[in-house]
Amino acid sequence: MNLVFTLVFLISIIFLCFISPDTVLSAMLTGGEKALTLSLQVVTVYAVWLGVFEIMDRSGLSQKIAKWLKPFIRFLFGDVSKEANEYMTLNISANLLGMSGGTTPMGIKSVLALENDKNSYYAIVMFFVINATSVQLIPSSILALRTSMGSINPSDIILPTILATLLSTIIGILLVKIFVRKK
Amino acid sequence: MSSFFIPVLFIIVFIYGIVKKVKPYDAFTDGAKGAIPFVTTLFPFLVSIFVLTELFDKSGLSDILVNFLAPFFNFFGVPKELCKLLLIKPFSGSGSLAVVSDIYNIYGVDSYLSRCASVIYGSSETVFYIAAVYFAKAKTKKLLTPIIISLVASFFSSVFACFICLIL
Repeated sequence: MNLVFTLVFLISIIFLCFISPDTVLSAMLTGGEKALTLSLQVVTVYAVWLGVFEIMDRSGLSQKIAKWLKPFIRFLFGDVSKEANEYMTLNISANLLGMSGGTTPMGIKSVLALENDKNSYYAIVMFFVINATSVQLIPSSILALRTSMGSINPSDIILPTILATLLSTIIGILLVKIFVRKK
Repeated sequence: MSSFFIPVLFIIVFIYGIVKKVKPYDAFTDGAKGAIPFVTTLFPFLVSIFVLTELFDKSGLSDILVNFLAPFFNFFGVPKELCKLLLIKPFSGSGSLAVVSDIYNIYGVDSYLSRCASVIYGSSETVFYIAAVYFAKAKTKKLLTPIIISLVASFFSSVFACFICLIL
């Protein structure tokens, strides 16, 4: 991450020196502003989802879902702690259902819980790849955009999207299984 | 149909909670309490990724990379109009949604290119954003392997998307 950040940063600034040196700072500030806007948007979304998740947690509902999906989690990640299992179940379910606000808090908690396990690197890589290859089944933001732009059949992209999503996740899982060694 | 999904889920969660004698108000407020500290830890990472994306775009580096990679993408059957989308998507969700809506405006929302763009957008994720956010608090910093794996997997699913939109 440090390498990518430094490289892109330096090359961009050197380029901008030739085109328009004035935009360097203003571009960076625009970036900061966008980060702030996003933070304000997500803080409300997280508050709602974390509230709902807390109810699920205290009532034992999330533990129950985690128990159902345990074989599946085990197949993908190997042996993980009970805590990690529960967070990952919630993260992956939220991902599948396209609750974009619900995935991130549970994702961060999953990574932290996984770090305490002994088999952590493999499981963390697998978890990252599954999240980063998108497992969302219904592409809701695209459907909304297509509808608002007057598409005749906005939902005709759902099936191709599901197939493409499945493919990317399967390729991702296979690559992890091939290239990252389980300890 | 899918718009009923979340309300129904919430009803189930609340009813189940009451049956199990959870105090919903206390639990909800306790959970929600975590939101602001959460975003506070995320903020520095969001700033760096957004500053970087902005510089990447404004410097023309993204256009150069698009032109450079276009022949390679083309070789795999990805139209050159979609190269920019493929390149922006790993960095920024809102940025790539803007690219998609440009494509809709230029080529018409029901054209082949627009449908491809929709599928590519819907089937890939903002890889670098996830890397920055999910690992904000984590000790693990060796992320190069998972990032490359995710990008390769997304690339092949985009190729597949362009192909399947010809048939379906």
